[in-house]
Amino acid sequence: MKSKKKKRQDDFQKVKLKVGKTKPKSDNATNTNFRSKGINLTEQLKRDTSGPTTHRQLGLNDLMSQLHHYSANIKHSALLGLKELLSANPSLLEQHLSRLVSEVAAVFTDKDGNVRVAATRVLRFIAQSVPAERVAPFSPVLSAHLSCAMTHIEISIQEDAMKILDVLLEHYPALLAARPAVLLTNFLELISHRQSSGGPKKAQDPKGRNWTLSVNPNRTVTSQQWRLTVLLRLGRFLLAVVEERPVEESDIFIPTDGVFGSSGEGRLIPLNLNWEELTYSKVGVKVYEHSGTKPTPRSTFRLRPEVDTGPAVGEDLDSAEAVQSFAATLVPLLLEVWVEASTSDCPGNNTEGAHLLSPDAMSVMFQVLSILQLLRKLAPQQEHQDALDAWFYKEYLGDFKQHFMKNFPYDSRDTPRHRKKVDLKRSKQTAVVPVLTVEPLALNITLCQVMVSLSQRQGLGRETDGDWLTPLRTFVRDTLGSGVKLSYRQLHMLLGTVWKMVLTQRTKTVTDDLLAAVYVYYKQRNLTLQTRSLLLSFYSKLYLQEQGHTHIARSKVLCRWLASLPVQLSQLGHRNPALSERLILSIQAAASRRHKDLLKSLHTNACKLYDPQEGVVVLLPAESQQRMVQLLYFLPKMSQSLLANLSCCCTTGRISAGLAASLIRIVHFRSSLSGWSVGSQEAAVEDVNYISFLFSTLTGFSSEKLASLQEVDDESILPPSPLSPLSLYSTPMEQFTHHWDVVEEVCHCLETLGSKSQCFDIVQNGICKYLIKLGVVPDSMAAGLLRAVSRLLDLSVLPIEPVLRFLSQCCLSLMALLISLEQELPAETNHKREAIWGACVSALSSVPRLLRMVLQLMRVGDLSEEELPQLGQILSMLLQHTPIHNQLLANAALLQDIIQQLTRYSRGATREQWLTDLLYCYSVTVAHGSSARRGSLSLRDMY
Amino acid sequence: MAAPLEVIVSSDSGSQMWNSTVFDLLSGSSLLSYRGGSSSARSLSLLSGGYLLSAQLGKNFINVWEIQRKDQLQQKIVCPGVITCLTASPDGLFLAAGVAEAIYLWEVSTGKLLSVLSRHYQDVTCLKFTDDSSHFVSGGKDNLALVWGLSSVIQLDLNAPPEPRHILSRHSLPITDLHCGLMGAQARVATASLDQTVKVWELSSGELLLSVLFDVEIMSVTFDPSEYFLFCGGSDGNIFQVSLCSQSLSREKSFQSDNDGDTTFKGHRNLVTCLSVSMDGTLLLSGSHDETVRLWDIQSKQSIRCLAHKGPVTNAVIMAAPANMFLPDSRPAVPLPRFSRHLQASEGGGATEVCVRPALYTQEVEKTYMQKADRLNLLMNAVTDKSVFGDGENTKVRVSELEEEVQTLKKVNKDLYEFTSQLLTKPT
Repeated sequence: MKSKKKKRQDDFQKVKLKVGKTKPKSDNATNTNFRSKGINLTEQLKRDTSGPTTHRQLGLNDLMSQLHHYSANIKHSALLGLKELLSANPSLLEQHLSRLVSEVAAVFTDKDGNVRVAATRVLRFIAQSVPAERVAPFSPVLSAHLSCAMTHIEISIQEDAMKILDVLLEHYPALLAARPAVLLTNFLELISHRQSSGGPKKAQDPKGRNWTLSVNPNRTVTSQQWRLTVLLRLGRFLLAVVEERPVEESDIFIPTDGVFGSSGEGRLIPLNLNWEELTYSKVGVKVYEHSGTKPTPRSTFRLRPEVDTGPAVGEDLDSAEAVQSFAATLVPLLLEVWVEASTSDCPGNNTEGAHLLSPDAMSVMFQVLSILQLLRKLAPQQEHQDALDAWFYKEYLGDFKQHFMKNFPYDSRDTPRHRKKVDLKRSKQTAVVPVLTVEPLALNITLCQVMVSLSQRQGLGRETDGDWLTPLRTFVRDTLGSGVKLSYRQLHMLLGTVWKMVLTQRTKTVTDDLLAAVYVYYKQRNLTLQTRSLLLSFYSKLYLQEQGHTHIARSKVLCRWLASLPVQLSQLGHRNPALSERLILSIQAAASRRHKDLLKSLHTNACKLYDPQEGVVVLLPAESQQRMVQLLYFLPKMSQSLLANLSCCCTTGRISAGLAASLIRIVHFRSSLSGWSVGSQEAAVEDVNYISFLFSTLTGFSSEKLASLQEVDDESILPPSPLSPLSLYSTPMEQFTHHWDVVEEVCHCLETLGSKSQCFDIVQNGICKYLIKLGVVPDSMAAGLLRAVSRLLDLSVLPIEPVLRFLSQCCLSLMALLISLEQELPAETNHKREAIWGACVSALSSVPRLLRMVLQLMRVGDLSEEELPQLGQILSMLLQHTPIHNQLLANAALLQDIIQQLTRYSRGATREQWLTDLLYCYSVTVAHGSSARRGSLSLRDMY
Repeated sequence: MAAPLEVIVSSDSGSQMWNSTVFDLLSGSSLLSYRGGSSSARSLSLLSGGYLLSAQLGKNFINVWEIQRKDQLQQKIVCPGVITCLTASPDGLFLAAGVAEAIYLWEVSTGKLLSVLSRHYQDVTCLKFTDDSSHFVSGGKDNLALVWGLSSVIQLDLNAPPEPRHILSRHSLPITDLHCGLMGAQARVATASLDQTVKVWELSSGELLLSVLFDVEIMSVTFDPSEYFLFCGGSDGNIFQVSLCSQSLSREKSFQSDNDGDTTFKGHRNLVTCLSVSMDGTLLLSGSHDETVRLWDIQSKQSIRCLAHKGPVTNAVIMAAPANMFLPDSRPAVPLPRFSRHLQASEGGGATEVCVRPALYTQEVEKTYMQKADRLNLLMNAVTDKSVFGDGENTKVRVSELEEEVQTLKKVNKDLYEFTSQLLTKPT
């Protein structure tokens, strides 16, 4: 028993621990003496294969999952990482766009501010690098999250939603504007709250409005500033919606490309069809769809399902009713905002009578007005817009008059400096509010435009709008007339109001008043091109509107403006072709309508405009030149000096030959000799002047030029010699061809004058009077004269002796020139040679006397040694030309004489080639001629 | 001699003896000539097949002949000014004349002046109706061509003066001629102008379809009936043929000879003032200021006939020969009233009744094809219904008849069977 007990004691022996002694090791103690070493497994250290990572080695998937983390810091860093990753690897963006967008959009409503800021940054980055059409599929997701954020109960999230909206509006305005309904409701909810329907208030409110402006005291900014931010976004959003609308017609005074007033490009597109393909029905073609009477309806078919629209604002803004109902909700709110802004700072009139406003209030008001303006434009079609205007007029004219017009000319209060500093500091602290400075001018102009758009055409049974339009008119007039610097946009808006007022007011005094103010502005010196052309197109459009508006047609200012156009055109010169083009278009429009003042002014300035040296017609580019030439048609009278100028224009070569030809034809049409006349339009050109115009154009050189040519001693003038009795001034190639083309046209005009013989008489007289005494003659003129003579001469008329002598001299000189031209550069002068030869030959064949005189002029005895071969060549060329054989044979004796002399003088020792050729040609011609004669003789014998 | 189908009617400004002459299109022989005065350009027109009208050159009246009485004027219509152009609607109900800037429109049946349209700023040069008389187009020296809907013009609404349906304002110099194609309101209109272009428009929408730029001013223009070609008479005497069905389609083109079917007819020496194409599109008639009228074969581009005149040709047109042109004893179907010179103001309230009668074939509402098909179907069904089913009494008789027939047929069949079986089982 004891042993057993002892044994038990052995088992459970108590170990005594003593203080100060080390504790004995227990039996089951682990020996920790070993050392461990890490083993690196290289496979595991490989990077994440799924894709690139950030500098923290986090891949896209990691970051995505971190976005769902509870910790705000993790989420923040994940967003930062996302941005880094995406900017380093843009390809990721394309692969994972759907996930990215949905995940990032999900944190729009995150509770932590930093996270939201980071999410906005990532969104901006995505927006910058992905085009709109690729984001289009995700726009429902985006807008759902956006509206979630906008309607969030937490105020800071709402505020940040504005920034997200900013990003989206900047980059994808079209996507947001595609379904505006939900967002518009959200906007309303941001600044107001809906009252529970069925309450007693609704019954009280006469207009049944159930939205009221809300004030939230918890915001960090004042409610006015908050409203400003919201309204700013709303304005931008509406602008995006408006810009999405199909453009129906261009703005009132954007310059159109068409001639005037007509729509620039047609809506029809030419279609290229192949009959074979059509018959095998490879392509189906709808030839007549309403036969073009209606524009093709834009298809509303969409592949993507439409998001269910909110019940508040009707369906979409596609119908006029929807717009109207939205406006009915929004306008009262805007009015409230306006009232609040105008009363928030103490009203005070200064001495000038302008109402003073603080900058904040001013910008709020500006936003209110610009939203009103956009609301008007929201109407889908033009007729809807008119209906909407009428509706605005009916519903809100009273309110607008009461609130907007009460203190109409607004001005900014001149705040003392120290307050401005405080403002600056405050705005730095609360960076939420964008610092916008709105000029009072802009505010006033916008107000004008909103109010004027309301004014209706005065008809029967409507009270006049004059009372409230008067201050507006005064303002517009003063602004334009006082020479204030206006930006292009402001001027555009002002002109729009003027336009509307002129069209609706329909009284002469108002029209003249306003137009005079515009004219004052127009006459300022230093306007930019854009502004200038805007004003120009304003006036010309207004002028084109005159039909049916007698008050516009009779406006003195408009007449004065039109009358000043030719002067402006001549003063402008070549400095600004684009502006000149617009001026010419306006002038042409008025001239075609036979505007008296303009025609008078054009008549007085015509000589200056068509001056051959510095007139507009030679300075401007070709297209404007053509218009200037066409303008000639409308001139009531063409004076002698103008015709002289025109003739110079034609001949000096600064307008193309084709244009010169059409100029000549236009003068022809305006003469009494043209034969084309409809109605009782009297001829603008007297016959005498017309003929002298033609003659001077035919000669191609002015009398001064010819006179100076006589004296000049230049190497381009060949001295006279026995072979070329006149010394020829060789014109440059271009001038020669130009003159040749002009001569053809002049000849055609002369031919159609009527009696050919009289016509030739006139030309003959002209030659006799002015040209015979010349010693130096330009070759183009000589050729032209010969050409004209051969075309105009009837066989019945015999030219007088002095003219014939002159012409024969010309002819011989030209042929000598021809020989000398042949020796040098045959290729370049080809056209010239052909022209000269043609002119000579046709003249020689049509006037037999001329040939005789030319032959008589060939006095072999006077020729020098070198000239003999030339004469020989001339003769052989003539002999080879069959059409004049008969006439040559008629002068056979003379010819024989010349040839005998030639053989004698050319020292018979070495018979040269040219002489052999000549003799051969001569013998062939004579043989042929004699055989022909014999034939005819034998024929005669037979009878 | 059989009466010709188509005739040439031409007039010139120089002839003393007669005003306008009728030639046979095929033989070129002169058939008739109408006496009295001389016609001004673009004013010769045929009114409802019974009257020939032309404006006197430089005077303010219109000469009217009954088509069969060549030597006597039926009446003179006096106008307030010199008539610049004249046309009658193809259905013979309206007459339009350009007098200076204004267009005068008369109703032929009563002679009333329906309206005076003064939308042009300068003289009206040409007027043309569409072939269904629903619209007309006017061209003027103010570079404009206006398309008017006849129905809107003749509504006498004094508050709103009639507005043109379209304003074609792309020319930059006066319009010299215009031509209206076929197909009523869906026609295409060609306008020629001194600005050296010819423009083709769609009448219904006022769209510019084609603009062709030439080297010279164009004085006259026409289509062939199928609108394969556009013919343009130039101020230099050439006639340009522009192919409208070429492959290269562009809105603006410039004329180049021998380029996809564009060619030139050469022969005249002065302005070509009038052009006309025959009904079958093979012959082209051109009148010119060189005092000739030429007839061209379009296929070969040759001048096949040249008819000399005494002065510049003012009118030359190929028209279908009216039935009673060559019957001296006939009378026009409708008498022509006196034409009034002034717009009748509404005196006495309802005194101004305007009788607007649509053309014959538009009076009855045309049935649609569906209705026609329905009716046809009904007729066919009625025939079978009657023959097969008949009415109630006949049915029983019919049924018994049919049963009897079935019986006989069965009997015949049985006989046939027995006969064949006997034939087959008979031992050979």
